[in-house]
Amino acid sequence: MSARHSYAWLALGLAGFARTAASADALPDTSAWKCEQCPFFQGYEANATAGAFYARGANDSYGRYTGINRSTVYPDVDASGQYRRADGLYVSYDLERLGLASREGFIAAGEEGRYDLRLSYDGQPTRLYDTGVTPFQGIGTSTLGLPSNWVSAGSTAGMTQLKASLAPVELGYDRRTVALLGRLLVSSAWTVFAGFQHQEKDGTDVSSASFLTQALQLPQPINYVTNSVDAGATWAGRWASVRLSYSGSWFEDDTDALTFANPYLPFVPGATLGRLALPPGNGSQQIAAAGTLRLPWWATTLTFNGSFGRLLQNAAFLPVSTLAGSTVPTPGSLDGDVHLSHYAVSIASRPLPRLSVRGSAAYDGRDDGTSPLAIAYVVTDTFPGGTVLTPRYSEDRVRLDGGADYELARWVRLGVGGELSEQHYSPGQVLTWSQDAESWGRATLIPLDSLSLTLKGGDGLRKTSNFNAAALPPGENPLLGAFNYAPRDRVFYSLTGSWSVTPTLTLSLEGFAANDDYRLSQLGLSGSHERRGSTALTWQPRDNLSLHADLGYQRIYTLQHGYAGAALAPWQVANAERFWNAEVGGEWVVRERWTLNVDYLHAPSYTDTSASEGGLAQPFPQDWTRLDTLRFEVTYRRSAALQFHLRYSYENFNSYDWALAGVGPATLSDVLALGLEPYHHSVNLFGLTVSYRFGARPAGAASP
Amino acid sequence: MIWRYSLAAALVLLAGGAASARAADAPPAASSAYSANGADTCLVCHNGPDIMGLFRTKHARPNDPRGPFGHDGLQCEACHGPGGAHVKARGRQPSGIIDFGHPEVTSVEQQNAMCLGCHRTNAAHDWDSNAHAAAGLACASCHTMHVATDPVRTADTQIEVCTHCHQAQHTDLFKLSHHPLREGKMACTSCHEPHGSSAPALLVHNTVNETCTACHAEFRGPFLWEHQPVTEDCSNCHDPHGSAQPALLKVRTPFLCQMCHEGAGHPSVFNTPQALPGGVPSSLLLTGGCINCHSQVHGSNHPSGRALMR
Repeated sequence: MSARHSYAWLALGLAGFARTAASADALPDTSAWKCEQCPFFQGYEANATAGAFYARGANDSYGRYTGINRSTVYPDVDASGQYRRADGLYVSYDLERLGLASREGFIAAGEEGRYDLRLSYDGQPTRLYDTGVTPFQGIGTSTLGLPSNWVSAGSTAGMTQLKASLAPVELGYDRRTVALLGRLLVSSAWTVFAGFQHQEKDGTDVSSASFLTQALQLPQPINYVTNSVDAGATWAGRWASVRLSYSGSWFEDDTDALTFANPYLPFVPGATLGRLALPPGNGSQQIAAAGTLRLPWWATTLTFNGSFGRLLQNAAFLPVSTLAGSTVPTPGSLDGDVHLSHYAVSIASRPLPRLSVRGSAAYDGRDDGTSPLAIAYVVTDTFPGGTVLTPRYSEDRVRLDGGADYELARWVRLGVGGELSEQHYSPGQVLTWSQDAESWGRATLIPLDSLSLTLKGGDGLRKTSNFNAAALPPGENPLLGAFNYAPRDRVFYSLTGSWSVTPTLTLSLEGFAANDDYRLSQLGLSGSHERRGSTALTWQPRDNLSLHADLGYQRIYTLQHGYAGAALAPWQVANAERFWNAEVGGEWVVRERWTLNVDYLHAPSYTDTSASEGGLAQPFPQDWTRLDTLRFEVTYRRSAALQFHLRYSYENFNSYDWALAGVGPATLSDVLALGLEPYHHSVNLFGLTVSYRFGARPAGAASP
Repeated sequence: MIWRYSLAAALVLLAGGAASARAADAPPAASSAYSANGADTCLVCHNGPDIMGLFRTKHARPNDPRGPFGHDGLQCEACHGPGGAHVKARGRQPSGIIDFGHPEVTSVEQQNAMCLGCHRTNAAHDWDSNAHAAAGLACASCHTMHVATDPVRTADTQIEVCTHCHQAQHTDLFKLSHHPLREGKMACTSCHEPHGSSAPALLVHNTVNETCTACHAEFRGPFLWEHQPVTEDCSNCHDPHGSAQPALLKVRTPFLCQMCHEGAGHPSVFNTPQALPGGVPSSLLLTGGCINCHSQVHGSNHPSGRALMR
C-alpha cells in the first residue's frame, strides 16, 4: 500500500466524521410552527351501520368460527365513534358484528399523552358439529345417563334401544373475553401499565372413554374460566430501555369430572359407571425483565430478556374409581409445582456500513419440582391395575442463533447464518439429549430497483442420544422416532421474489423445498419432504380499478415404518397431502359513488394414504376437501355521510374423511360413536346495510 | 512507515464508518435545513386524502408530547427529516427527504432509524436481531402511516399484509383445520411478535407451550399423569398454521401415535383399508382412532389416568 493510498483512506475516514458532525446541529425553533393547516380532529363523530343478512343453508360447518350456523336472518350492526376535546381528553369506541356470537368491540378513554383506559369484549364461537347423535341424557351436566329402558350388550349391535334412544347433540362452545387495560404515561420516559382479563369458555366438546376394550364417544361439558393479570413499567431513554412486568393467569373448571353410564355389559359386576377427570384448575405466575442497550459503537444493540415463573396445580383428586369402596388416594392432591425459566441475550451490530451481524443465545428450563406419587390405580373403572410411581418430566433447552449479511454491491447482498439447539431431558426419559444444528446461506439480487430475488439454501442435522429402553412402557419398541425426536438430515431451498413490472403491476413469488431424511430411524417416521410454491399478482390499471390474483400449491409427504411382531413383515404407511388455492378479484370505483368488489376463491386439497406390507400396497380412499367462495359487494355512497352496502356471497365446502364417513353410532362394534359426519356446507348469504356518519367529516375524505 | 500510516488510516476509516453508522440511527437535525413553517409548509402540496388520513392517527395528536405533532414536535419533519431542501427544490428528488417505502430513494436503515428513534420504547422488542430486520424489511414494508387505520393493526386485514410475504401461511388458511384467522377472530400477532422476541419463531411468549396455553389454559398442567411430548412442545403433534387433519394434527391418528408408540400389542397393529366401513370396521382406525380410548392425551389428573384413559 502506498502513502497516497493511506491518505485516501484517511480522507474517507475524516469524511465519515464530518458527516457525523454535520448531523449534530441544533434542532430548529418550532415556536412559529402553528400547524394551522393541520386538520386535528375535535368534537364528536360516529359511524353507525345497521342492516341484516340472510344465510341460506348455514350450518355448524359454515359457522365454525363465525357463529352463523342457521338458515335465518341475522342482524348486521356495527358502530364506531369518538369524541375529542382540544385539551386532549377523548373517548372512542368501535363495536363490530353486534348481531352475531362473534361480536367484539372496545371503548377507550383517556387524555392524549397522559393516560388511557381500554375496555374490550371479544366473542369467539366455535361450532364443531351439528350432525352428532347420542343416547346419553343430561348433556351439558357432569353426569350422563342412559334411558331407563336401555338394553346393555357386549357390542353396539346388541344395544336394541340404541336407535330409538338417539337424539341430536349440538357440539361446540363459546369463548367470551372481557379485558380492561390501563396505561399511565408518567413522564417522557416512564410508562406504567396494568391489565385484567376475564375469559369464559362454555359449551360441549367431543370426548371419549372406554371400559377396557369397549369405547364410547361422549359430549363433554365445558365450563372454563380464566382470569389473567398483567402489570409492569417501562422506562425508555435514548440509549437504553427497560421493561419490568408481572403476569399471572388462573384457570378454573367448574366441572371437575364427567360421570357416565356404561352402555355395555360390564366386564365385572358393578362396573356400570365411568368417570373422566376434566382439566383441573391451575395457576401460572411469571415475573420478567427485559431491556435494550444501544452501545456507542458500530450501531450495536444489546437486548436481554429474563423471566422466572411457576405453574401450580393442586386440585383435589377424584376417587380412584367408581367401583364400590374406592377412595381418594393419599395425598389427596398433586401439589404440582413446575418452575419455568427463560434467559436470553442478543446482539446486533453493524461493524462496517455494509456489514450487519447478529447473534443470540437463549435458555429455557422446565423444572418439574412435583413429587412423584405412588398411585394404586384402577383400569377404566373395571379392575385394579397395580401401583405405579407417577413420572415427572423436566427439560432444559439452549438455543444459539446467529447470522451476518453483507452488501457486496448495490444489487447484491449475501448472508449466512445458523442455529444450534440442544435439549437435555431429566433422568428416566426415553432420550437423554437431542441436538439440532442448521446452517444456511442466501443471496439477494436486486438487478433493477423494481426487481428483487432472494435465493436461500441450507441444511440441518439432528442427533439424539440412544433411547433408554428402561424408560419405555412395557413392550414399547425402542427404535421409534417422531417429528421432533428422530435423528434427521435436512436440506432445504427457497426462492422469493418481488417485481414491480410497472408502477401499477407487481408480481411476487415464493418457492420452497425441504427434504428430511430420518435415515437412522428404523421404525416410526423415516422420511418426509415438503414442496410449496405461490405467486401473487396485483394490477392497478387505473386509479379507480385494482385487480389481484393469487395462486398457491403445497405438497407434504411423510413415510413411516411399523413392525407388528417377529413373525410378520415390517409395514409402512405413506401419507401425501396436496393443497391448492387460487384466488382472483378486484375493486372498481365508478364515478366515486359506486364501489364494486368481486372475489372468487377455489381451494381444494387431497390426502392420499397408502399402507403396505411385504411390498403389497393397500391405498386408503382419498380424503379431500373443496372450498369455493364467491363474494360480490356493492357500496353506494349517497353522500359523504350516507352509504348503502349490498353483499352477496356463496360458499361451498365439501369434504370426505374416511375416518368419519359412514361411521354411525353402531358401525363399530366396540365404539358407541356420535355419528359425526365430514364437514359440508353450501351457503348463500344476502345482506343489505345502511351506514350513516354523524358529526365531523373525516380529514381528506373525498366527497362524491 | 507506510504500514504504520496505513494502519492508522484504517483505524480512522473504521472509526469514521462506525460514527457514520451511528449517525444514520440518529434523526438528521440541521436546523437550517428544516422548512420555515413545519407542517403548514408541507400541507400546501401534500394535502390529498392519501396524506390527510394521518390526522386520524396517533401520530397526529397535538397534546401528546411523545408524538411528532405534540408540543415542540417536528411535525412531518419528525419522521421525514428536514424538508428545507425539498421545499427549495419544489419537491424534486433527491432533496434529502426520508421517503418511506422507497428503498431506492432512502435506505431501509435510514427509514427504520427514523421510526426506531421513538419506537424503541418497548424493551421486550428486539428488532435489530430479529429475522425481519435481517431480511431487510423496512417498517413501511408492513405499516401504512397516512391512513386512519393501519391495515396491519387490524385483525381483519393484518393477515393480508403478513401473507404477502408468508405465502405458505396463506395456503394454510384454507385447510380443513385452522385457527380462526380467515374469520377475523385471530391475527398473526395473536401468537407472533413481528418486531422481535427472544422466543423461537418470534412467538409472543417464551416458548411454544407458553404461547399455546395462554389461550388453551386447560392443557397447562401440571397433571398427575403427563404425556411427555405435550409437556415439551405442542408442535410435536400439532401444526398451528393449518392441517388437513382434525385438531391441527400433523398426521392423522393412529399413524401419528404410531410414530412413537409401537411394540407389543395393539399399538403396533398394521391398519389397512380393510378396517373401514364395508370391511371389518376397526376402532383403532375410525372416528378418533387411538383417542377413542386414550382421550386424555394432554394429561390427566385422575388417579387412574395412567394410560390417559380417564
